[in-house]
Amino acid sequence: MRLAAPFGSLIDRNAPVSFTFEGRSYAGFVGDTVASALAANNTWLISRSFKYHRPRGILTMSGDDGNTMVQVGQEPNVLADTLPIREGLTVMGQHYTGSLAADRDRWVEMFSKFLPVGFYYRAFFKPKGVWNLWEKFVRSKAGLGRVDISTHHGYYDKAYAFADVAVIGGGVAGMAAALEAAKADVEVVLVERQPILGGSLNYTRIDVAGTKGMALVQDLTDQLRAAKNITIMTDATCTGWFADNFLPIITGNRMVKLRAAEVIVATGVIEQPAVFRNNDLPGIMLGSAAQRLIKLYGVRPGQRAVVACYGGTGYGVALDLLDAGVNVAAVVDFSKAPTDNPRRHAVKDAGIEILQGYGLREAIARKGGGHIASVIAAPITGDGNLADTPRTIECDLLCMSTGWMPAASLVAHAAGEVSYSERSSTFVVRSVADNMQVAGAVNGEWVVDSAIKEGHQAGAAASGQTANRVASPRLPDDRPAQPWTIFPHEKGKDFVDFDEDLTVADLRNAVAEGFDDIELVKRFSTVVMGPSQGRVSALNALRLVQSHAGKALEGARGSTNRPPVTPEKFGHLSGRGFEPLRLTAMHDRHVEAGAEMMLAGAWLRPAYYGTDSESVIHNEVMNVRENVGLIDVSTLGGLDIRGPDAAEFLDRVYTFSYARQKVGRARYVLMCDQSGAITDDGVACRFSDENFYVTATTGGSDAVYRTMLFWNAQWRLNVDITNMTGGLAAMNIAGPRSRDVLEKLCTDVSLSAAEFPYMGVRIARVANIPARLLRVGFVGELGYEIHAPSSMSEALWDALMAAGAEFGIKPFGVEAQRILRLEKGHIIISQDTDGLTHPHEAGMAWAISRRKPFFFGRRAIEAQMKRGLTRKLVGFTLPESSGLLPEESHLVIRNGEITGRITSIVHSPTLNKPIGLAFVAPDQAEPENIFSIKGHDGRMIEARVVPTPFYDPENKRQEL
Amino acid sequence: MAQPTDHLRRSFIYRQLSAAGAEFLDLADAAIASKFPNEGDATKLGLADLSPLPRTGFKGPQALTWLAGHDVAVPQINNTANLQSDGSLVVRLADTEGLVLSDLKSQSDTVARLETLTPTSGCYPVPRDDTYFWFLLSGVHAPDCLLKICGVDVRPHKFPNHTVAQTSIARLGTVAIRDDRGSTLAYHLIADSTSAGYFWDAALDAMAEFDGRPIGLNSILALG
Repeated sequence: MRLAAPFGSLIDRNAPVSFTFEGRSYAGFVGDTVASALAANNTWLISRSFKYHRPRGILTMSGDDGNTMVQVGQEPNVLADTLPIREGLTVMGQHYTGSLAADRDRWVEMFSKFLPVGFYYRAFFKPKGVWNLWEKFVRSKAGLGRVDISTHHGYYDKAYAFADVAVIGGGVAGMAAALEAAKADVEVVLVERQPILGGSLNYTRIDVAGTKGMALVQDLTDQLRAAKNITIMTDATCTGWFADNFLPIITGNRMVKLRAAEVIVATGVIEQPAVFRNNDLPGIMLGSAAQRLIKLYGVRPGQRAVVACYGGTGYGVALDLLDAGVNVAAVVDFSKAPTDNPRRHAVKDAGIEILQGYGLREAIARKGGGHIASVIAAPITGDGNLADTPRTIECDLLCMSTGWMPAASLVAHAAGEVSYSERSSTFVVRSVADNMQVAGAVNGEWVVDSAIKEGHQAGAAASGQTANRVASPRLPDDRPAQPWTIFPHEKGKDFVDFDEDLTVADLRNAVAEGFDDIELVKRFSTVVMGPSQGRVSALNALRLVQSHAGKALEGARGSTNRPPVTPEKFGHLSGRGFEPLRLTAMHDRHVEAGAEMMLAGAWLRPAYYGTDSESVIHNEVMNVRENVGLIDVSTLGGLDIRGPDAAEFLDRVYTFSYARQKVGRARYVLMCDQSGAITDDGVACRFSDENFYVTATTGGSDAVYRTMLFWNAQWRLNVDITNMTGGLAAMNIAGPRSRDVLEKLCTDVSLSAAEFPYMGVRIARVANIPARLLRVGFVGELGYEIHAPSSMSEALWDALMAAGAEFGIKPFGVEAQRILRLEKGHIIISQDTDGLTHPHEAGMAWAISRRKPFFFGRRAIEAQMKRGLTRKLVGFTLPESSGLLPEESHLVIRNGEITGRITSIVHSPTLNKPIGLAFVAPDQAEPENIFSIKGHDGRMIEARVVPTPFYDPENKRQEL
Repeated sequence: MAQPTDHLRRSFIYRQLSAAGAEFLDLADAAIASKFPNEGDATKLGLADLSPLPRTGFKGPQALTWLAGHDVAVPQINNTANLQSDGSLVVRLADTEGLVLSDLKSQSDTVARLETLTPTSGCYPVPRDDTYFWFLLSGVHAPDCLLKICGVDVRPHKFPNHTVAQTSIARLGTVAIRDDRGSTLAYHLIADSTSAGYFWDAALDAMAEFDGRPIGLNSILALG
């Protein structure tokens, strides 16, 4: 039911909103969350629990539990207690069959005896084969929410931010810290996950009148807004701490990556539930949850309430309930003796019965289930023990103010110590990382005025005004031990971890099985592993584990706390998903020509030009063989190696010899790593004594460049290495008419066979564009690679296409090139070689210089040759009757043993038969030898070793 | 009206600029986008393509000495830039590398002059007008925009005028040089030319939040 103003500080009553939940329409206001709007409409059932499908509703009202997870449109697992409503929102429950209210899967609970902790480690496996029966069932029942893979990508992004002091937590301690730090004229960022500053003082009652808290908040907020050097971020959650105070902050669809010189953690505490039978029923919530509903959303959380507590905070809850018109039936105070607390006195004066020294035995659901109807309390006789004199109190609301633990995740992420203190009866921060402080309730400072003072101290120290940093731990001087808040029930359903449906017996049994440490219990039972990550279960879980294992609580730590503090979406982590794409200068010409583009590393390259790939590629191949084709080879690496030691440098880096390479000539380059394995190849073009231009493969050029820089940083040869890959576009004009085309555009250099022979290189102008001409022959035809400034290469491409029109020039793509080169027996690095292939295996011994004292991999190659070959790359053909051709990586089998595999295979358009390259055993490598390939469906196909090149074995065509 | 395809040398993103309705202005050997129909506000947030303007680079142990010996005021400190009297900008990228950007009116001959010379041993020219694209981001929101795609603190009070950052921007290795135009914040953004189209789109995407849009050379020159 909705309360009148001034209740509901976050809602705008002038802005109504309608949304649907489970197909029914609801009304709320701007500022409401889904859970608060449902509560205002007296709807308390929000979800079904993970294992037993128990009805669940509001517990924390702060997003610190998983009880309110709902499906919102296509998005699963949204927390209803923090999601603001908006017009037209469609919300559904999760994890049920039939309806949320009448979930047909709730019968699972009847079998809870057969589903003890860790049952899935034993079930489903025996007898053999039973998993096939279980799998379908488990897949349909397991998991939470529904993933719709057609979901449109949302717009998520990131932003960097910088601060001298970052204050995490906008309660009064954090606000004070920010104000104090700002006095030093430093940059301060204050991060608060709620929509408003003030923290718990926005809803808790620290004084009888209930006015002090808000007055403090208002005063501090006014000061903050007036400060010039404080950036305030609300609705912003710091989800982790990383090295050097790197803080990810989620706000809306953005992740802000904040780097701060100093961090002050003022994140307060998280209230904890008590453990008793049926403590998970809707209508049972934390005291602070009820206060949030009342003060922030103007919702009366029930009609008739019981408050369970110890200490003054719960009495503040009772007073707030009274103000909201709730009938407070009783306060169940776990403390043995009454405390002298003004709020307690006010509750007593209001005539509310206080059951001093009582604990909670059980909550009873109303008929039909789904909500609390009464609670059974009894006198406490010892830790977890109750007398047999129960009192039943009717209620539709049970508020628990029965413990707190510091929200100290960020401290733990930074390797600060957070461990249990008997004096505090909870976790305390015992140490923090350098450049970090804690302040306020998270540091155990409960008194508001003192928390503010501590905030000031932290701010002054963080901003360098003083050296007096806040000390940790802060332990209470004189306080009686807090009551035990766990009351195990012989019939169970006394939940410790709501997310995982884990009860007291489950943790006891885990310890009994030998898992006697919280880290082991966590992994075995999944306690604290659910969506709330232990925020409302870690404390009670540790208490139980230590108790059952006979270990001390003092100094005990919970399981390792890792980021994120609260759930992050994959969208937040990926942001805009920057993937730098590289396009050649001629890219648009390929697209305009109808090319099917393919990814080659970061590049886009044309695979073929057309739609019917098989016939298109065939035609492209034949056009190169018979006329002239043009291919964009810009993606291949290009490196200028310049300086007096250029040749020496190449001699060390590649296997071949370059010291005596003539100016105006190209020579093959083969690079190996220190293990002798081939890593890259290309050609080295000598344009002058001290000027080489070296090409590399598309995939290897960046690594080649890095390798060169790395090694020359050590050798210190007098050489400059410049990566020209992006600066020079390149195209290969190939085919018997290629010279005819080029002669139309290049008149300053003779292209005749005599004056520009095969493997020659020249500097020339082509279509008045300065270019490097390389007469190389990857595809085995007369051809020229033309490397020109990328800003001019589109014009160059156009000129070549225009000049070649009369000769039938056509562009050809990567697929055709792969066939053409295979017909010439040329290998492709990383296709016909793997991470271990050394030159001798690949038939590249001719590319190794015998006279150089050193090159990469030399010693390893020599050692391998001493051991002898274990495989050899050979050319092969298949008979025409082979049927469906085998593919790359199909195996070579002899007598049931693998002796090799296919690396390249194609039906050659030029030769009109299947050809390929394969690794075989050395004794299988002789020409005419027959070996067997295991093709599709295990069919064995006989292949015949043939010498390469398959096409034009005397190389006459490329040397025209 | 001038068209990029009237010249052999073309901006790496001329098609994207044309699609946005750019008008082009002829330079000596290329056409540059001079204005757009729905032009952004250069004082608030605008992005200009300056790739058709001349630039050159020199590497090697003698590169900076050689430049200094040819009337170029090379900065003393790495990762800083000097504005020459003729409006060209000399950027010291390392002890062994310099970059020279022409003045934006393309009136100075410094780049052309340097490119006609034959450097001494130990100084190697690099054709930066082909290896790099050259964009300019201007306006009061330029730092906010850059902080969405760059992890370096480029806010004016932390990144003085003529400071250089060689860093990753939108996951692309980029040289960022602050070079205010009059009283307006401005940053040259220079990176691998093959990713020009990708970077232009990524930058505009980051700019949208601040109503940032493409601007032409005219808007930049109007800033002073």
